[in-house]
Amino acid sequence: MLNTNADASARYVHPLVQITYDRTVFEDLETRIERNGPWDNWTLYRLALEAEQASLVTDFHELLCLRTLPAFEPMPHQIEAARKVLHEMRGRAILADEVGLGKTIEAGLILKEYWVRGLVRKALILVPSSLVLQWVRELAQKFDLPAVPHKKMHSWQQDLVVASIDTAKREPNRSLLLDREYDLVIVDEAHKLKNKKTSNYQFVSELRKKYCLLLTATPVQNDLDELYNLITLLKPGQLGEEGEFNANYVQGKRLVKNEEKLQANLGQLMIRNRRQDGGVQFTRRCVTTVPLTLSPEEMALYQGVTDYIREHARAENGDMASMLSLVTLQREVCSSRDAVFLTLVNLFKKTPEHSPLRARIWELVELIRRITANTKAEKTMELLREIGDKAIVFTEYRLTQDYLLRFFQEHGIQAVPYRGGMNRGRKDWMMDLFRNRAQVLVATEAGGEGINLQFCHHVINFDLPWNPMRVEQRIGRVHRLGQSRDVHIFNLCTLGTIEEHILHLLHEKINLFESVIGELDDIVHELEQVQSWDRQVAQMVLESANDQELRERLDRLGDSMQTARRLSGQGARST
Amino acid sequence: MNAKKVQNFVLAYIEATGCQLIEKSPGHVTVKLSPAADRALSGRPFYWSFIDSTGTPPETLTYTWMFEKSPPPEPGAKSTPLSSLMSAGGRTIREQMYFGSRRLAQLFDAVREAGRCTMMFEEAPRNRRTPLESTPYTAWLGVNFKVAYVCDMKREALHEWGISLATGNIDEMFGRRLAGTRLTPRLPPNVHLLRNGLSLRKGLSQLEQALERKLKAQNFDWAIEAEQRRQEEQERIAQYYGPKLSRAAEDPEQTAALNARLAQRQDEIDWQYRPRIEVSVLSCGLFHLAGLD
Repeated sequence: MLNTNADASARYVHPLVQITYDRTVFEDLETRIERNGPWDNWTLYRLALEAEQASLVTDFHELLCLRTLPAFEPMPHQIEAARKVLHEMRGRAILADEVGLGKTIEAGLILKEYWVRGLVRKALILVPSSLVLQWVRELAQKFDLPAVPHKKMHSWQQDLVVASIDTAKREPNRSLLLDREYDLVIVDEAHKLKNKKTSNYQFVSELRKKYCLLLTATPVQNDLDELYNLITLLKPGQLGEEGEFNANYVQGKRLVKNEEKLQANLGQLMIRNRRQDGGVQFTRRCVTTVPLTLSPEEMALYQGVTDYIREHARAENGDMASMLSLVTLQREVCSSRDAVFLTLVNLFKKTPEHSPLRARIWELVELIRRITANTKAEKTMELLREIGDKAIVFTEYRLTQDYLLRFFQEHGIQAVPYRGGMNRGRKDWMMDLFRNRAQVLVATEAGGEGINLQFCHHVINFDLPWNPMRVEQRIGRVHRLGQSRDVHIFNLCTLGTIEEHILHLLHEKINLFESVIGELDDIVHELEQVQSWDRQVAQMVLESANDQELRERLDRLGDSMQTARRLSGQGARST
Repeated sequence: MNAKKVQNFVLAYIEATGCQLIEKSPGHVTVKLSPAADRALSGRPFYWSFIDSTGTPPETLTYTWMFEKSPPPEPGAKSTPLSSLMSAGGRTIREQMYFGSRRLAQLFDAVREAGRCTMMFEEAPRNRRTPLESTPYTAWLGVNFKVAYVCDMKREALHEWGISLATGNIDEMFGRRLAGTRLTPRLPPNVHLLRNGLSLRKGLSQLEQALERKLKAQNFDWAIEAEQRRQEEQERIAQYYGPKLSRAAEDPEQTAALNARLAQRQDEIDWQYRPRIEVSVLSCGLFHLAGLD
């Protein structure tokens, strides 16, 4: 930490300013004179001075990092963000840009600037484990910074270490890190720190640090306690003492009073760029709905499952958990028989041996046996041949993923899998294979997070998640900063099924695919106050007597989303 | 430092360290490192300890350094440090060398390490009146100081000063004087060295005192502003922890925990903001220059 020598020999050049000397090199000269050499080469002596002149930080404010970057141009809003953090927020800030605007770049610029100036020599970067290698790579490629991923205990000795927060907070790492001093600590996905009772929060709070950057895309304005906690981590007291804060700003859990004053206060330590603020140009999204008619065998299964669910839903009488799993069954039928088969088998096993339901379930399994072809998979093949370029096929279900991989292989299309359960090395390997060899990446939902695939511009939604946020995350992997071409999105939709309704909601009501919805996360969060999105939709599906009613209820959900969006748009303009 | 300057720097380094120049164009240079340069740059401590302990002749690495920036490699492509590890053994390692690149930073570190203490003599004046006349030489202590003005921000200045160990005269333009002087590592003929009036230590401390006098006359607004920020922050956390501490007055355990947290934050704030000046001697040397001054 700061060397505050209070001894009598401390020298001051100003009442506030102590002066200290590092004379190591001079002492070296004395020794060499005593021993009559050896003397350093005169050219090297001059070069050393030239190196110092070139690296000299001659100004408090200039962004030196911009001169020293490899051929990589940050965007204006990123440079502005870095400047603000360095000169106004003094190195302690929350970077809360919307997804895809480059929070990592901003953090990299700030780190590089401090690095070049010698203000940061030791930094710790805490990120979710799936992002460790990506951070290391970005820092190396875009900023030429020698960051290393944490692997063994001795990795902590390095100057720039990227580690997962879960690893870092575990013993023996924890004690070791808490004994150190870090010039800079960066926490990615900092919304995981919002609860001050968690071990993550305690750990980051106890780390000794000079500068600190918290990165989060999830706006915390929705929950004032969480916001207060995050800010307390950076600058305790910025929003006043807890009681004071509550008296000044809080009306209800999510209700703010004195909004303007709060925003002004937040502006002193939080940066939030939005897509709608302009200045950031995205390529277009072209959306195609691909309607499909199920084969008679597939339709028979769908009907069978739907009837089963209707009957059963009434029998279960409001047990939400088991009802949800029933709706899953219906969604799986629309994906692949493999997906629904496993669920049915599990359901069969769980059902008591003498229950009449067992026979019903077995009937459904029999229906599966009759299916010989997957209409959607065949359509996807057709699409892929037409596209003739790299494409990502997203599915919600692991078994559909396996099926598709087999299916593509049989038809001579190179495809690789990607899913959340894979370890880091395997994920990276799959990315490399997709980039260099395979035409298709078949990804499950978990694969949607934390990967950047700007070199690909075709996305096929084999089936759709219900939550608009998750759909946006899928598309966001491809349609983000750095994508130079228009992105084509294909939504496969089986007619006369639940999929048709969901697509209607997401595509026509919410208009999710064409435009990037600013503040989408805010809006969904807002609508989820009472109940999660998926549950709301599932409940509508179960409770609606017929398609007509379901369509109407989904429309109402879409309308309330549009309203929330308009309000949020106004809110954004007024701040 | 533009590409041209970087190139000149690298070429001077190559020559000074005895590396073998294989190929050169305006945009690149290919070079087989000398053992000294390889030790400093290749990052192979185990290899070199093996060579040193077995006496095997070393095989140094060959690099191609390109001076123009080009776009970063595709994501996923192997980055510099990896490729340099994998291509040891005869192959040429291609790298970008620009201001800000890791390799140039490493070169900077290498010259800082290898060019910090020197002893040089001014070459004898050419046209002497009589060959037997002896020229008096004065010993100068030349010191390159870096002055860093630090708070939550930082600015630096370089001072290339010298002091005559004979007379105590201080030359604030000593760097320029050296640049205009022809120097040699060997004592020229027909030269006599004057007695020093000052010890080396004394010389340095007089230079430091002169530096401090100069610094004291400078503008300290930066420090005053930083101190204001520091105090604001300190007040803010005092206001934050004050009520908490009084509420916890009954509970010694909680009070201790709060005090520890408060002390940590106070230290962090001082560390971040307290204005200070850090002077370091970057390099220094003993210079025997013609004349009596």
